[in-house]
Amino acid sequence: MHIEVQHGPAYAMAIAHLDAGESLVAESGAMVSHDTHVSMETSTNATGKKGGGFMKGLKRALAGESFFQNRFTAEGAAGTVTLAPVHCGDVVVQELGQRTLFLQSTAFICSGMGVEIDSKWGGAKTFFGGEGLIMLKATGSGPIAFNAFGGIKELEIDGSYVVDTGHIVAFEEGVEFSVNKFGGGWKSFIFGGEGLVCTFSGKGKVWIQTRNPQAFGEAVGGKLPPRD
Amino acid sequence: MKHEIRNGPDFASLHLTLDEGDQVVTEAGAMMGMSGAISLETNMKGGLGGAFKRALGGESMFLNTYTATGSGQRLDLAPSSPGSVVHLGLAGNAVMMQSGAYMASTTGVEVDSKWQGAKGFFSGEGLFLLRCSGDGDLWISSYGAIHQVDVSGSYVVDTSHIVGFDEGLTYSVRKGGGMKSLFLSGEGLVCEFTGSGRLWIQTRNAPALASFLHPFRPVKSKN
Repeated sequence: MHIEVQHGPAYAMAIAHLDAGESLVAESGAMVSHDTHVSMETSTNATGKKGGGFMKGLKRALAGESFFQNRFTAEGAAGTVTLAPVHCGDVVVQELGQRTLFLQSTAFICSGMGVEIDSKWGGAKTFFGGEGLIMLKATGSGPIAFNAFGGIKELEIDGSYVVDTGHIVAFEEGVEFSVNKFGGGWKSFIFGGEGLVCTFSGKGKVWIQTRNPQAFGEAVGGKLPPRD
Repeated sequence: MKHEIRNGPDFASLHLTLDEGDQVVTEAGAMMGMSGAISLETNMKGGLGGAFKRALGGESMFLNTYTATGSGQRLDLAPSSPGSVVHLGLAGNAVMMQSGAYMASTTGVEVDSKWQGAKGFFSGEGLFLLRCSGDGDLWISSYGAIHQVDVSGSYVVDTSHIVGFDEGLTYSVRKGGGMKSLFLSGEGLVCEFTGSGRLWIQTRNAPALASFLHPFRPVKSKN
């Protein structure tokens, strides 16, 4: 499988080229188009790995991702599937190659069948994050595509680096993180507008997005007429 | 008339230079700026019946016709959504445009709505189409980028990502997978195109953005 990205960085779309008989797993709702001989199947355990389809779906749902995932299979001949995120922004494709990646819960678009997507409850330290900092854990091998809201910036962490929780897209497993309130004391926390931040330490890659979905939602959604 | 698309692909706008007597038809609300010697006429092209059909097509009932009364007049047009503008030249052929994709055309292009009846109705996503035919220039716009697919055989597209297609393509609306998929996959309805011709799809869809924003709406206080 080869996943290419076109129309980035503002309105990027992933174009997955499948060999005959090959499949991919995609986030529910991400599909834009596909060849007619590519079939779609919906399940809680789209990679077909042993054990706990329902529980896996439930954990994904708790992480803010979809309970169900879709599996696309090129039946009989090579075929393509195009996939796009909800927000405007860029898409990145990574070969896992036995690395483990953590993805912010809504960043996942699609992955090869060799990639296992699981949720990881960050425990108390992320509980206070309040910005959906339950991460999806991608393990195995094969390509994975994920999206950012806005542009995406790849950072090489060596030492420590602080990121606003709303701007995190993904990071490699070797990087340690802790969530804490921003800056000097409660005044900054309450009035500084930064809320909670994530401090990364160690060595490895971190991807951040140049816009914050929560901030955008509040900026626009707050101006809409009230809902009942 | 000269035309140029600028600020694309993300925030494309259309910049026309009209000579005396040149005419351009646009969707209502598309005008961003213009020179002084251009007259505007708002009309219901095709009469009341035609306007009604266009309203069903999701386009506003009225189209604006701009006529240059001097030479070298500028007319600058912008679509409502962030995204691309694409120019299509028509030479006796016809293209079908999803509601909202029509932006502007020269007077040789006839814009007519085509009620899709039941098969459009079931899509629930406004698959009402405008038929643009004749000779001249047509400009279309999208939310997100416009991605062209040259269909040969058949091809499946989520209905909310369709911008337009050559009239020669036949299509049918159906659910994306099995019954389970219809309710659980999040994919809703798809359009299957067959034949050969050009198909334009947009890389984002407005309903998905609206769904994202919905939870951020203020909650109505009781009393």
